[in-house]
Amino acid sequence: MATIINIPEAKAIQVNNLEFTYNGAPEPSLIDITMPIAKNSVTALIGPSGCGKTTLLRAFNRMHDLYPGHTYNKGEILFEGRNIIDPKEDLINLRIKIGMIFQKPTAFPMSIFDNVAYGLRLQGTKNKTELNDRVEKALKDAAIWKETADRLKDDANGLSGGQQQRLCIARAIAVEPDVLLFDEPTSALDPISTQGIERLVTELKEKMTIIIVTHNMQQAARVSDYTGFMYLGELIELGKTEEMFVTPKERLTNEYITGKFG
Amino acid sequence: MTETQKRVLISKIVMVLSTLSALIGLAFLFWILYVLVTNGIDAINWDIFLYEGAPPGYAESGLKQALIGQLILVGVASLIGVPLGVLGGTYLSEYGQRSRLAETIRDISDIMMSAPSIVIGAFVYAVVVTPMGHFSGWAGVIALTIIMVPIILRTTDDMLHLVPGTLREAAFALGAPKYKVIIQVVYRGAKAGVLTGILLGVARVGGETAPLLFTSFNDNFMSTDLMEPMASLTVTMFNYATSPYEDWQQLGWAAAFILSMFILALNIIGRLIIMKKGK
Ligand SMILES: Nc1ncnc2c1ncn2[C@@H]1O[C@H](COP(=O)(O)OP(=O)(O)OP(=O)(O)O)[C@@H](O)[C@H]1O
Ligand SMILES: [Mg+2]
Repeated sequence: MATIINIPEAKAIQVNNLEFTYNGAPEPSLIDITMPIAKNSVTALIGPSGCGKTTLLRAFNRMHDLYPGHTYNKGEILFEGRNIIDPKEDLINLRIKIGMIFQKPTAFPMSIFDNVAYGLRLQGTKNKTELNDRVEKALKDAAIWKETADRLKDDANGLSGGQQQRLCIARAIAVEPDVLLFDEPTSALDPISTQGIERLVTELKEKMTIIIVTHNMQQAARVSDYTGFMYLGELIELGKTEEMFVTPKERLTNEYITGKFG
Repeated sequence: MTETQKRVLISKIVMVLSTLSALIGLAFLFWILYVLVTNGIDAINWDIFLYEGAPPGYAESGLKQALIGQLILVGVASLIGVPLGVLGGTYLSEYGQRSRLAETIRDISDIMMSAPSIVIGAFVYAVVVTPMGHFSGWAGVIALTIIMVPIILRTTDDMLHLVPGTLREAAFALGAPKYKVIIQVVYRGAKAGVLTGILLGVARVGGETAPLLFTSFNDNFMSTDLMEPMASLTVTMFNYATSPYEDWQQLGWAAAFILSMFILALNIIGRLIIMKKGK
């Protein structure tokens, strides 16, 4: 049995008994996941490769639906009081509220400004001054304003990897999502850029709820308030980060964080 | 001789042989260009653009009808073929993906691309020219379109496919509907490649003669009516160059020169786009 602690804060998301199977896979990749996500906090997902971290993360914004045949077999994900894996869920609206940052930077082939304005324009913001203000604010919040202020019209692909990742964060936060999903956002970055992104993550939680997948346990310890440990498609343990890394309740968690496997 | 010396020697022989064959290929290319340019430049003058075709021996004889006809035929074929090819390629890459229908369309296009163009001319002759009772510009346009579409379709498919999937996902993750993801992100990322495919497709049909012989045929006089036979540079060139008259042969060289420059230009622009993209 899994050990899932009770969360005193308000919950942004509540997962109940979720089971998910990839198209054609013989076994489900997520098995009976029950997990609260605390509001305005950082929840880290850790676990060995292939345990289902990315799969769970991509269920929150229904990214799996881009490809045919993947199925949510059982369970629910509650967000704003409704089950968002309902087939009738409006995915465009959902993805506006639940943003995502990928492992590798995904700067669009357009200018820095247009990248950050992309989500805003999608939502119909046309007013020039409003666009300018919100792009500037997002770039400032993503700590990349100084480097980009005088080159907003330049192609975004001219930025360094770390800058591009912060640009992607700016693009995601420009539309002020309630939840932001990060899938190993620093695994392609150097230590300095990584530090920058980590600082950002901890700052952003004042405004939004953050779920971050990471392979790096030190990173989980540094940035997160709660940590979930997954193994073979199951959530083995969810606890307060400071407690879980010191006194894990589950034997498997203990073995993983002490480096016995993984 | 040691093993190393042997290997160095073999490597040198291979290098010399491959350089030689490249040079032979280049030599032929420059020979063709040389003959074309020397004969073409001599044959070119303003009259070519001012006068229509005339019987041999007439001073006021030109290629106006062939130039205009060529532009109309290739232009109208492009107007139809480019959107069809790009939309079809978009379907393959973004919607059909690995489905059986998409794979079938890919296979058919590949076969169509390697089909001799004269066969396509014969086909259009059978289904368009025969029922109409006469050659027409439209028949030529249809034949050229049939040749052009699979080329543009497949390059578009390939080029869109090169855009990383995570870029699409990132746009979806911002709440973009699929058509906006395609237009604003995928097309933008593949712009240079798709454009190059279009240019190469247009250049390819620009040099076709065989299918036009069966379809738009020829006309010695100016005509812009697609319902009637229409002159083209290629067919005119064929007729003039193979004629026994000195002045017609000159016009044939002029047509060959203009056509080559047109196609060379399209190809060079295509390469430039690729190079600029590569930077
Ligand atoms: N598109 C897919 N189709 C079928 N199976 C998949 C697909 N993507 C992932 N899987 C499988 O689902 C399981 C969970 O994969 P997932 O990518 O969620 O792991 P992860 O914890 O994110 O691993 P990593 O740390 O390596 O990123 C694995 O067994 C994987 O092989
Ligand atoms: Mg993963």
